[in-house]
Amino acid sequence: MKVTLKVWRQKGPDQPGRFEAYDAEVPSTDMSFLELMDTVNEGLIAKGSDAIAFDHDCREGICGMCSQVIDGQPHGPDQGAATCQLHMRKFKDGDVVTVEPFRAKAFPVIKDLVVDRSALDRVVSCGGFISINTGAAVDGNAVPVPKVDAEAAMDAAACIGCGACVAACPNAAAMLFVGAKVSHLALLPQGGPERARRVLGMRQAMDAEGFGHCTNEAECEAVCPKEIKVSNIARLNREFIKALVCSKE
Amino acid sequence: METLNRIVTSSIGRKLVVALMGLLLCGFLVGHLGGNLFLFVGKDAFNAYAHHLETFPLLVPVELGLAGVALVHILVTLYLQLTSLAARPERYAVTQSKGGRTWGSSTMIYTAAAVLLFIVVHVATLKYGARPSPEDLHGLVMRYFSSWGWVAFYAGCMACLGLHLSHGFWSAFQTFGVDHPKYTPVIKGLGTAFAVAVSLAFASIPVWARIAMGGSQ
Ligand code: FES
Repeated sequence: MKVTLKVWRQKGPDQPGRFEAYDAEVPSTDMSFLELMDTVNEGLIAKGSDAIAFDHDCREGICGMCSQVIDGQPHGPDQGAATCQLHMRKFKDGDVVTVEPFRAKAFPVIKDLVVDRSALDRVVSCGGFISINTGAAVDGNAVPVPKVDAEAAMDAAACIGCGACVAACPNAAAMLFVGAKVSHLALLPQGGPERARRVLGMRQAMDAEGFGHCTNEAECEAVCPKEIKVSNIARLNREFIKALVCSKE
Repeated sequence: METLNRIVTSSIGRKLVVALMGLLLCGFLVGHLGGNLFLFVGKDAFNAYAHHLETFPLLVPVELGLAGVALVHILVTLYLQLTSLAARPERYAVTQSKGGRTWGSSTMIYTAAAVLLFIVVHVATLKYGARPSPEDLHGLVMRYFSSWGWVAFYAGCMACLGLHLSHGFWSAFQTFGVDHPKYTPVIKGLGTAFAVAVSLAFASIPVWARIAMGGSQ
């Protein structure tokens, strides 16, 4: 099978970019999409051209580095999978596949498909943590947590911070990311003491980074490789309202 | 003061304002629809209702309040829309929904424009239009709906209103953080039912007036 990759090429930040087409032979449909990109890159390097820059690390859906928009969908056409978990069996012979970087003001392009997603880290640094000195390990059952809350917190904590929610959002909002980060701590007793400060701080940082506002389109939920639900956005809103009304901070 | 500041300066706070105004406007729709249904009772009942409403001493303050609610709903949304445009200065070459968006959610700004146009035309024609006699609002309504063009315009705008509500109703609750595995499906269902019921009920009036009454009295 053969496909044509139409890839966004951009030499550096704030430089003009354009699409370039590369014909690629796909030896096996079990090949992953990133392996195909590797093959294309080997060809480019052999010809003495600049390889396509793209981010990746774990290649097993854990690190959240592989930020690509494939045929208009962040992480491509698969469900609950990151770009690195996408396989060529999702494509047909002769397909023209458009590959773009995540696009948002808060995610400036560094080169080709590589974007700077450190805005998400800065948002987390404004409250997405608990400031407790850990000390010696306490007994596992010293702080009882209802099973449903533990499950919901774990679901939210599955966020790998890839930024696909921002990339898919028509408003480039980061509400699903922030919702997940606020939720997984708000649902647990350990997150309680700092909940108001956390939501107020992260909200402020999120707006300051230039993310858009949420219009509840739920495209974020649909593209999330960890299938994080928009319920977490509702919880973020709830936490924000609670902080507005009750917080003494 | 700090609370107010947090509301007006934050994306979430502004959304809360839009959602609250939206729900208030939903309340207005119910009230307005209730009044309109007097048309089905008959000419005298409707004119009596209109007279009652127009001589209500607090009518002007209520109208101003309502206009204020609508204006805030529109202006804050427009402002948020501008920030969203700025949040993605470079657009995608290809965009493909993965199933999150609905017809209603992806057309909010367009259905809003249609409803706004409708409000302007509707107020100009039926609120301030020349009546056969000062006490005969019924006659004015019937005169307008004798034309299929007006009927189509009204019905089309009500379809847009329905589409707007189909997303807006649930969206407001989500913005207020009202979400629960038991109740969210109910709220979504209610939102759809509200959108369909309100738009059909409003649209039924011009259609009924044209067909059943032949556009005359
Ligand atoms: S490369 Fe780590 S999640 Fe894709």
